[in-house]
Amino acid sequence: MKRDLRLERVYPHPPARVWRALTDRHELSKWLMETDFEPVLGHRFTFRAKPVPGWDGVTYCEVTELEPGRCVAYRWRGGPGPDRPPTLDTLVRFTLEPEGEGTRVILEHRGFSGLRAVLVSVMMRSGWAKMLRTKLPAVLDATR
Amino acid sequence: MFRALADPTRRAILDRLRRREHGVGALCEPFAMTQPAISQHLRVLSEAGLVRSRRQGRERIYSISPRPLRQAFDWLAHFESFWTDRLDALGDHLDDDP
Repeated sequence: MKRDLRLERVYPHPPARVWRALTDRHELSKWLMETDFEPVLGHRFTFRAKPVPGWDGVTYCEVTELEPGRCVAYRWRGGPGPDRPPTLDTLVRFTLEPEGEGTRVILEHRGFSGLRAVLVSVMMRSGWAKMLRTKLPAVLDATR
Repeated sequence: MFRALADPTRRAILDRLRRREHGVGALCEPFAMTQPAISQHLRVLSEAGLVRSRRQGRERIYSISPRPLRQAFDWLAHFESFWTDRLDALGDHLDDDP
């Protein structure tokens, strides 16, 4: 069962330039989502997107790893709202490696493994036990 | 979608539709609710993409649509496409402002 996401890209720009795009809140707001990110370990921040049913559009984050110029990671949580249990509690990490004149960016998004437990508890609370027994396991298995 | 699922009547409607398709009239029977009230719930379910409907004579027949539910829980696929788009956007951003 596939549980982690890993994507790699090589950009023709030097690591220092890419690092700025990954850690400057104004730059992040341009290519990722509107944010109040600060490159400070432990800093809590949000990404804001358009709300959709079941998601208030806010991703709650906290910087968990910071190695200037090389690596930044944050906890990435989202769900129906701030006072409801998150349906997603994961970790995002960007790692930069020099590649010739340019930069290799490695993006990892991990922690989907705990999702089944979270979903199960949310669905249980919502009282949809029958749906849980029948459809949901198949849906989760199909997610590989 | 989670908002649509949050209501017990709507979950009961979905549960009935899971077995087979129904018209609004037949859906009203087990619930102590008026047809407009049930229609309102069906509208919410329909807007969330959880049910679909077709006309049969003068009646509208509702059936369950499992695909959105499957997609909603398919986080990996969702984020794979999200991050692919964002990494493209990062490349464009770097090209525009080197």
